[in-house]
Amino acid sequence: MAQKISEKVSEILGKIKTCMGFQKKGNKVDSFKLITSPAVLFVLALFAGMLIVYFYNAMPAFNREGLSVYLKDVWRAVENPSEEYYGLASAIWGSIYTSMIAILVALPLSIAYSIFVVDYAPKRIKNTLIITSDVMAGLPTIIYGIWGAFVLVPFLKDYVMTPLHRYLSFIPIFSYPPITGFSYFSAGILLGIMVTPFASAIIREAYQMTPFAYREAAFSVGMTRYEATKVMLGYIKPAMFSGVILAFGRAIGETVAVSLVIGNTFNLSANLFAPGYTISSLIANQFGNAFIYSHMLPVLYAAGLALFFIGLLVNSAGLYLLRRWEKNVSI
Amino acid sequence: MNEYAIETKNLKISYGDNEVIKGVDLKVLKNVVFALMGPSGCGKSTMLRAFNRLLELNKDAVVEGEVLLFGENIYSPDIDPIEVRRDVGMVFQYPNPFPHLTIYDNVAIGLKLNKLAKNKRELDERVRWALEKAALWDEVKDRMGDYPSDLSGGQKQRLVVARALAMKPKVLLMDEPTANIDPVGTKKIEELLFELKEDYTIILVTHSPAQAARVSDCVGFLYLGELIEVGSTKDIFEKPKNELTEQYVTGELV
Repeated sequence: MAQKISEKVSEILGKIKTCMGFQKKGNKVDSFKLITSPAVLFVLALFAGMLIVYFYNAMPAFNREGLSVYLKDVWRAVENPSEEYYGLASAIWGSIYTSMIAILVALPLSIAYSIFVVDYAPKRIKNTLIITSDVMAGLPTIIYGIWGAFVLVPFLKDYVMTPLHRYLSFIPIFSYPPITGFSYFSAGILLGIMVTPFASAIIREAYQMTPFAYREAAFSVGMTRYEATKVMLGYIKPAMFSGVILAFGRAIGETVAVSLVIGNTFNLSANLFAPGYTISSLIANQFGNAFIYSHMLPVLYAAGLALFFIGLLVNSAGLYLLRRWEKNVSI
Repeated sequence: MNEYAIETKNLKISYGDNEVIKGVDLKVLKNVVFALMGPSGCGKSTMLRAFNRLLELNKDAVVEGEVLLFGENIYSPDIDPIEVRRDVGMVFQYPNPFPHLTIYDNVAIGLKLNKLAKNKRELDERVRWALEKAALWDEVKDRMGDYPSDLSGGQKQRLVVARALAMKPKVLLMDEPTANIDPVGTKKIEELLFELKEDYTIILVTHSPAQAARVSDCVGFLYLGELIEVGSTKDIFEKPKNELTEQYVTGELV
């Protein structure tokens, strides 16, 4: 009897192993696969678990305010719970706005940097440049934050924002007086600087991957270096596009550095020099208050959920486009 | 006008310490197909790239001696390599039309950038002319806006020929143009050579003695960076003077 049971058990175990791919029929168990696969399962479980936790904890906010929690621009944190109202529109706007400014800064910088590193830099300094920018991509973001708050913001305020406001304030986006300098603009510029090493790594790799045969072809029909470079940039356009999307994904999730320079004010404005909030800086700043006010925590979870989805969407789109392009790089 | 399309005087090319072309004197007549043949790695492609100064894309390459294009030294300091490349078209070993440009734009790009067409109509005509010359027009005339990825290898290579011809070059360099395409495509390219030599001087690099015998008027045999023998195709294949040449054309030397 006992033997029968143990036979049955091993048969079932065998079936499980086969269907999970640990063991091909009749072959030995791939023990390495067996050992490493829990890591994969763990990652997947973590991903799903996180999503569930966020959903679950954000539910009270959705039940109370519906999806308008994402569309309203209010932040009424008061002691009487029945009068509490929250809306995340200004933070979502701030995230998107600053990230777009960041892209406008990062894209030309990354392209110029990539062209210089690949085409012009002498071999001796080429590697130094590559390592430097890769290190900068990995620096703790608080380093950028402190530098941004104490060096970049005063500089931008005095030499960029004030003159622009003085002479061009009739243009709506320059009309807000840059009193402190902490603003969407400062945050966008800082984010742009922060994601440049990241975006340039992608663009540089792609630019380096352009087959030499195409360069030769470009020069063989009498193109100048500038013209040939333009044609090659056209060739890596999909990679540049995905670099931009991935950089956007980075920028939108950045928290600490942005919190230090954006001014942390509820504001929904296209005025570049106005202070604002981003989703992540909002969560970081309001986290302490969430213990005081009864309806705030679910709203912060809802904010996190929004960021989760934006990040997921943006990153998977960027990676997908990049992979697809890399696959097509051949003659 | 000089009777030679291309003439080299003591041409030496080296990469760092490695000398790959060791002092070559060569004269190529106008309106012929000149085949430069030799085993792989003997420096054929390198030498070819000296004729349109494309070698300069490689920072390590050093060229010494002279290359005369219709009597004019293209390496003299007052010559702009870009001008040289407009006069000397090139077709490559891998068919390399720009994959992100349409068939039309692939042919038109050199013309556009060098402003060789006054208006759209002239550009259209020139593109059509080049494609007809390259014997590709009938196959692509209805899909000029498509990308070249759908073309066969042979068609791509003829598109590259059209791209080069559109610039109305004086000399056409072809670096093993049939090495990576199928036999039917190869035949078409070879037939094209007969037509093109009416108007152009063609220098064809090939590692196949058979191809050289089929399509060329004159042949140069390059071996380990030295030009062993030059002559009419008939002479080289029927009564080679040099033993190495004989071994090569009979297939004993690989």
